[in-house]
Amino acid sequence: MSFPDPIAVFRTEAAELLEQIEAGLLDLNVNLGDKDQVDAVFRGLHTLKGSGAMFGFDALAAFTHHCETAFDRVRKGEVPATQELVTAVLEAKDHMRALVDTPNGNHEATGEALLTSLRAAVDGAKNPGAASPAKAAPGQNHFKIRFSLPQSAMANGTNPLPLLDELRELGECTIVADRSAIPALDLLAPTDLYISWEVELLTTQPRSAIDDVFIFVMDEMQLEVITVEAPAAAAKTPTKTETLVAEARPGAAAPFAAPQAAAPAPIAPAPIDAKQKKASENVRVPAEKLDELMDRVGELVIAQSRLSQLAGGSGDLQLRAVSEDVERLSGELRDTMMVLRMVPVTQLFGRFRRLVHDLAHETGKTIELVTEGESTEVDKSVIERLADPLVHLVRNSCDHGLETPEERLAAGKSAAGHILLSARQQAGEVIITIKDDGRGINKERVRAKAESSGLIAPNANLTDQELYQLIFQPGFSTAQAVTNLSGRGVGMDVVKRTIDALRGTINVASHPGKGSEISLAIPLTLAIIDGLLVRVGDGRYVIPLSAVEECLELSIEEDMRSRGRSFISLRDSLVPFLRLRDLFRTGTKPDPFQKVVVISTGSERVGLVVDQIIGDHQTVIKGMSKLHHDVATFSGATILGDGDVALILDVGHLVAEGQQQEAHLRAAG
Amino acid sequence: MPASDAKEDCLHLPQNLTVRAITIVQQEMLQFLDKTASATIELDDDCQVDISFLQLMEAARIYAGTAGKHIALARPASGPTLDVLKCSGILEGMSADDLQFWLHQGGIQ
Repeated sequence: MSFPDPIAVFRTEAAELLEQIEAGLLDLNVNLGDKDQVDAVFRGLHTLKGSGAMFGFDALAAFTHHCETAFDRVRKGEVPATQELVTAVLEAKDHMRALVDTPNGNHEATGEALLTSLRAAVDGAKNPGAASPAKAAPGQNHFKIRFSLPQSAMANGTNPLPLLDELRELGECTIVADRSAIPALDLLAPTDLYISWEVELLTTQPRSAIDDVFIFVMDEMQLEVITVEAPAAAAKTPTKTETLVAEARPGAAAPFAAPQAAAPAPIAPAPIDAKQKKASENVRVPAEKLDELMDRVGELVIAQSRLSQLAGGSGDLQLRAVSEDVERLSGELRDTMMVLRMVPVTQLFGRFRRLVHDLAHETGKTIELVTEGESTEVDKSVIERLADPLVHLVRNSCDHGLETPEERLAAGKSAAGHILLSARQQAGEVIITIKDDGRGINKERVRAKAESSGLIAPNANLTDQELYQLIFQPGFSTAQAVTNLSGRGVGMDVVKRTIDALRGTINVASHPGKGSEISLAIPLTLAIIDGLLVRVGDGRYVIPLSAVEECLELSIEEDMRSRGRSFISLRDSLVPFLRLRDLFRTGTKPDPFQKVVVISTGSERVGLVVDQIIGDHQTVIKGMSKLHHDVATFSGATILGDGDVALILDVGHLVAEGQQQEAHLRAAG
Repeated sequence: MPASDAKEDCLHLPQNLTVRAITIVQQEMLQFLDKTASATIELDDDCQVDISFLQLMEAARIYAGTAGKHIALARPASGPTLDVLKCSGILEGMSADDLQFWLHQGGIQ
């Protein structure tokens, strides 16, 4: 048995902590008064620092300490959370990741620069006049206190400092001295006290505890105490201050101004919520172990397939019974395995909040990112490979799709641009959509660029979809200016290649002035699928079962009748079909009773004519070799129970081909 | 005997800078400020300080400012002086000028 490397474990945990910190910072950026997020970020930083020091990541611990201190000051109300501070800590977070990944790297200069930014953000946020506005937690009282001791207090032996310390002991306390009454040196009575104080106190103690602090000087001093209501209540009842002033001692100086707007929430101890409790019941497993297990399950499925075949050809009933049991169990094991590999797309979407935040900052645009369907689950290997294409698409939307606030206002839109990132499952596929409400794709510019690049003939007759697909050609960009974000035409072709490699498809829709929508349809898994095993000529092929709508018989008469047309009538609609025997050039004669397997992607359908439907088949997907990279009709291969190889049909490609055939036939009349 | 040492434009204050001795310190400082255009005040690291001293220094700054003179601490406040600045709440409400005078810096460390 091998034990995990503690450093590797720390790195994994640090990565999670950094993600939590980033998520907290981005949430805080939306609501700077959210004290829960301040606490969450602080706790994350604190844990990272402690763990880092424990595992010998001293540079990380030292650097994180500064960020932790900054957030500690925010927690304590010494400085408010500002967007500048959030941005500085976000940048610092990236540096922490580098310190985790390469602790011995040369990070000093970067670290110093980031700390300078952090200090500037903290100093900029500091507002001495606003003495730590804070919000009382349930059960806590929030008092604003103003007091001045008798002028002769010091001469009579009363030291104000212990009184201030006693106030601090009551709770979370901010004390600001008012020095405005101090005269010039020649007019000063040096033993007299000229300073008065303003205090904000969050305490579980009652009002009487404040009186107790001043019990020995109470008769001669001026003390004014205001109980501050919760912000919401204060906002609803602005006259409350006057009522509360009545609580001040008679003869007191002018009251404080009315409580200002919402103040940060108090520091609450981290609650042990259900999520944390659940987390303690989970077991962390390295991803590569899951991959290994998946491979073993794949081999088991192939062995089971062989056993089924042997049992089927044997007259031994007991062997058949055992074979059926093994088939059932391997199917259940496969299903369980698939569930283990599925992860919600929230992991994928989470990183785009930061990306959009940074892009908004870089482009000077106001961008709001909305995500939907974050609980949609996809195989983890699909998630990993989707990240880069989505980054390109979101960057393009931010940089080229969305207009500047001025342009948007001029176009009658809101100043803030919106990007919707959504995910949903549909028939064995996950559909990921990136939608913006920007200027849309300029069709004329795409056409002009494609013509000038020789991608299409001048005035070529293309559908909108065909035109939009040109943006995925290598080097194609209609951007008038190249920015450091996008516009070089590098990226969209990478998107296309990656989605193709995932056996996915890209659909583009755009409306001038209203925005664009790019949908990626990706198979839910790349490992094992339920397939329909068919025979065409002497070869066997697998059609992904999720794409199969129905199977029909194609009689010789119907086949003869449809020659040249390749359409079947299916419940009052014509469905084009492809003769796989012709497509694969098998050189064999058709079976007397051929079958049509109707497959679909979304609303588009096509029939595949095969010689025989063998039955369902658990298909362990094996990749095609590099030699077959350009073969578009097949998306992979699988090993059958008898050891033969069956190719897996690429449904998206065949449907597109069928639809193209239909279009040509219609055009031909 | 004077409570403090005056060398050129530098006034070295005594160790006791509490209300018990503050009247003498005030006189010394007034005399010193009257005879110099730019005064530097030197404090012992282990001096005893209370609020009366902080008031005195603030009053001296006002006096010097009104008279068109310059006053500064030889070194940033530290030790007991810094402690009292913090404890009294003076540090909390400092302006940029205050920070420059007391801590010789633009921001609080």
